[in-house]
Amino acid sequence: MKLYSLCVIYKGATKANLLKAAYDLSSFSFFQRSSVQEFMTFTSALIVERSTQGSRASVKEQEYLCHVYVRNDNLSAVVIADTEYPQRVCFSLLEKVLEEFSRQVDSINWPSGNPESINYKALDVHLAKYQNPREADAMTKVQAELDETKIILHNTMESLLERGEKLDDLVAKSEHLGNQSKAFYKTARKQN
Amino acid sequence: VKDVIIKPDGPNTLLLDKHADYIAAYGSKNDDYEYTLSEYLRMSGIYWGLTVMDLMGQLPRMNQQEIIDFITACQHECGGISASIGHDPHLLYTLSAIQILCLYDSTDAIDVDKVVEYIKGLQQEDGSFAGDKWGEIDTRFSFCAAAALALLGRMDAINVDKAVEFVLSCMNFDGGFGCRPGSESHAGQIYCCTGFLSLTGQLHQVNADLLGWWLCERQLLSGGLNGRPEKLPDVCYSWWVLASLKIIGKIHWIDKAKLRTFILACQDEETGGFADRPGDMVDPFHTLFGVAGLSLLGDKQIKPVNPVLCMPEDIMQRLNLKPELLS
Amino acid sequence: EVDVLVQRVVKDISNAFKRNPNIDEIGVIPCPEARYNRSPIVLVENKLGVESWCIKFLLPYVHNKLLLYRQRKHWLDREALVDITSTLLLLNPDFTTAWNVRKELLQCGVLVPEKDLYLGKLALTKFPKSPETWIHRRWVLQQVLQRFPAAACRSQQQHGEMESSELQRSPMLSDQLTRTLHEEMKVCCDAACRYPSNYNAWSHRIWVLQHMARGNIKFFHDELSSMRVWVSMHVSDHSGFHYRQFLLKELMTELSQAPSSSYASQNRPSTAPSSSPPHPSHTEANGELTGAEASGDEERQLNSATVLQLFHQELELCSDLIQSFPGHETLWSHRRHVFYLWHLW
Ligand SMILES: CC(C)=CCC/C(C)=C/CC/C(C)=C/CC/C(C)=C/COP(=O)(O)OP(=O)(O)O
Repeated sequence: MKLYSLCVIYKGATKANLLKAAYDLSSFSFFQRSSVQEFMTFTSALIVERSTQGSRASVKEQEYLCHVYVRNDNLSAVVIADTEYPQRVCFSLLEKVLEEFSRQVDSINWPSGNPESINYKALDVHLAKYQNPREADAMTKVQAELDETKIILHNTMESLLERGEKLDDLVAKSEHLGNQSKAFYKTARKQN
Repeated sequence: VKDVIIKPDGPNTLLLDKHADYIAAYGSKNDDYEYTLSEYLRMSGIYWGLTVMDLMGQLPRMNQQEIIDFITACQHECGGISASIGHDPHLLYTLSAIQILCLYDSTDAIDVDKVVEYIKGLQQEDGSFAGDKWGEIDTRFSFCAAAALALLGRMDAINVDKAVEFVLSCMNFDGGFGCRPGSESHAGQIYCCTGFLSLTGQLHQVNADLLGWWLCERQLLSGGLNGRPEKLPDVCYSWWVLASLKIIGKIHWIDKAKLRTFILACQDEETGGFADRPGDMVDPFHTLFGVAGLSLLGDKQIKPVNPVLCMPEDIMQRLNLKPELLS
Repeated sequence: EVDVLVQRVVKDISNAFKRNPNIDEIGVIPCPEARYNRSPIVLVENKLGVESWCIKFLLPYVHNKLLLYRQRKHWLDREALVDITSTLLLLNPDFTTAWNVRKELLQCGVLVPEKDLYLGKLALTKFPKSPETWIHRRWVLQQVLQRFPAAACRSQQQHGEMESSELQRSPMLSDQLTRTLHEEMKVCCDAACRYPSNYNAWSHRIWVLQHMARGNIKFFHDELSSMRVWVSMHVSDHSGFHYRQFLLKELMTELSQAPSSSYASQNRPSTAPSSSPPHPSHTEANGELTGAEASGDEERQLNSATVLQLFHQELELCSDLIQSFPGHETLWSHRRHVFYLWHLW
């Protein structure tokens, strides 16, 4: 089981704003890491954009699960994990990170901040510590607190999109994805 | 749970014409890079393509003479047959070549005595078979040897008792079989071992209830079958698992309608052909096993397929071959 | 023109290996078009990358060259053969005939086993399932084993007397063998991490133990304890758990068969076999039998206590994982298997 990325994002009126991110891409092949990282950021932001205030959701994309929590104050976090990693631990992590983040970073800075300007250092530590869910948290406690039935499950990224909208188009249009990442996306799809 | 979601707007009818066109065109693009990549298994590739064409009643569309000449050119001094010209001989491709020649009723295109000698020479003291002269042992090769010899009517050339003994030594506590003694059970290896025991008339040695249970637990909610616990479903396992169930007389233990839905969803409506899972790239391997799986499920648009040799039943009749099946 | 390009790329690859003997991963860099005046071979941080655009020229070219050689229509010297097969196999590691060419080069001494084990290891970083790569590895390991007949036979011998000359030679030989053994475990582990339930990686690992560590109770114990963390982090990896079942079964068999093996008689682990490494196995035990050998009964009892403890710990681990990670078929299947082994015993 593996956690790949953990992002704190502010859900603005029209766009999602990335505030801080941590990655563990050691399990990907070396030459794919930068593209994978761009995709994880891109996907996390997209999911936040398309999720409603005060919601928790898990989105399945190939062999990954993206868990998102958007708080009522629009502060959001996304963790990307494999399908083996327990969902409830992910949500406990998201909850904890956002709570800590909002205590340390003034909300004034949320709409316009960026990873360089925001001073919040704990994300990498959390990501590393939670790699082993059994060491990270009292798992049973989380289970008691979280009503799993309230978590929305999307079986594909597409189901987050609007009618007629296509993931391929969004990828092609994105300014945040480099050419190599776009090439990588093309080859990664439809292969077995 | 690891599984796929079948989209409601995906294909749900059998697109036979598309598949025939896909296979017929496949061989003609032999200058492309993907084709070079798979040359090391060309003989099996041809067997997959021809068998699925025959099951769909479209074999005449393929170039019989060219293929037979190719096979003749692939037989080596030692009697073994290689995947393609210039490659080294191996049991895997020796079986595929013999299967193709049986489809065309042309085993005289190769030196049969030499092929039999080759296969016989690969049997080891413990009854197992090496895949080629370099000595790798695997129950897949026991199947290849037995199937090739059965098709040639020369099973007497090897020590069958010893061969059976080895395959049985690869049986596990869950009723399944692995590639060697002590190895994990795997649906592909189970197909090889039950097929082997069928060809040698030893099916009473399997624990059909136990194995049948393991096999039908391969069915997932989507209807598709995986090859081992907690793996994704894959169309090729519709063949390996379903054929094994058929061989041990337990095919009714599977939800046939759901499996059919899964297999149909793996078709590519545009290009023709089947992929491992819905939405992936198609290839001749998955196309054969998709179609052959549907045949085992009783689809009337497809010729009946023999579960042991994965060839049309009419060919089995012509060869007068009736591998044992449990009922 | 393509000729010149390809020959340069093949050279670039072999030069990269000469320049950096520590390359530990290969990969393809997605890059649809050539960049002017730059080699498509990239070397960063011990990683060797090939830009994707050049592969469709490179592969068919080296492929055809090798096949022409195989049909004796084209001559290649040994150095060219080594370069061409390694380029080919890094791009297409299931090309059986290319591995066979290397087997022949190995047999006539042009290549050494270490070099091929290394090439295979690199191919597995990109193609962790590649059946032909694993098959070739086993063949090479057989060669290594044959090179050390004494050590090989020792590791297969359960317990018993050794020729004294063998005993004197064996520390060095078994040292080298132990190193190879550990390296294989590492290669299997990496491949198992790269592809879940990697059948070929795990069945190779079993093969290696069966051929290179027979009867080495300490090694089996160490494997069992080092695998503990791994399976806890891969609770749906059926192959990983099957490997544990294999280890348990071997240990169980060894311990119930060998009452006077050096295992029980020498510093018996006071607690879990997983926490304290049990004692040097017979491979290091100098063939000496301790005094405890006399009391076979006592030993049998100790051994059977060890087996019981193994079962106990395994079930505890299993219960623990089932509780922490509900809904995994693999964990239940493991549980069933452990009970079955217990019942057998
Ligand atoms: C006549 C026919 C149809 C076949 C000839 C006989 C042979 C060679 C059958 C092969 C059966 C087979 C699929 C064996 C399994 C090989 C194996 C152990 C594959 C390991 O695969 P995984 O690592 O599980 O890969 P996947 O995850 O892709 O399934």
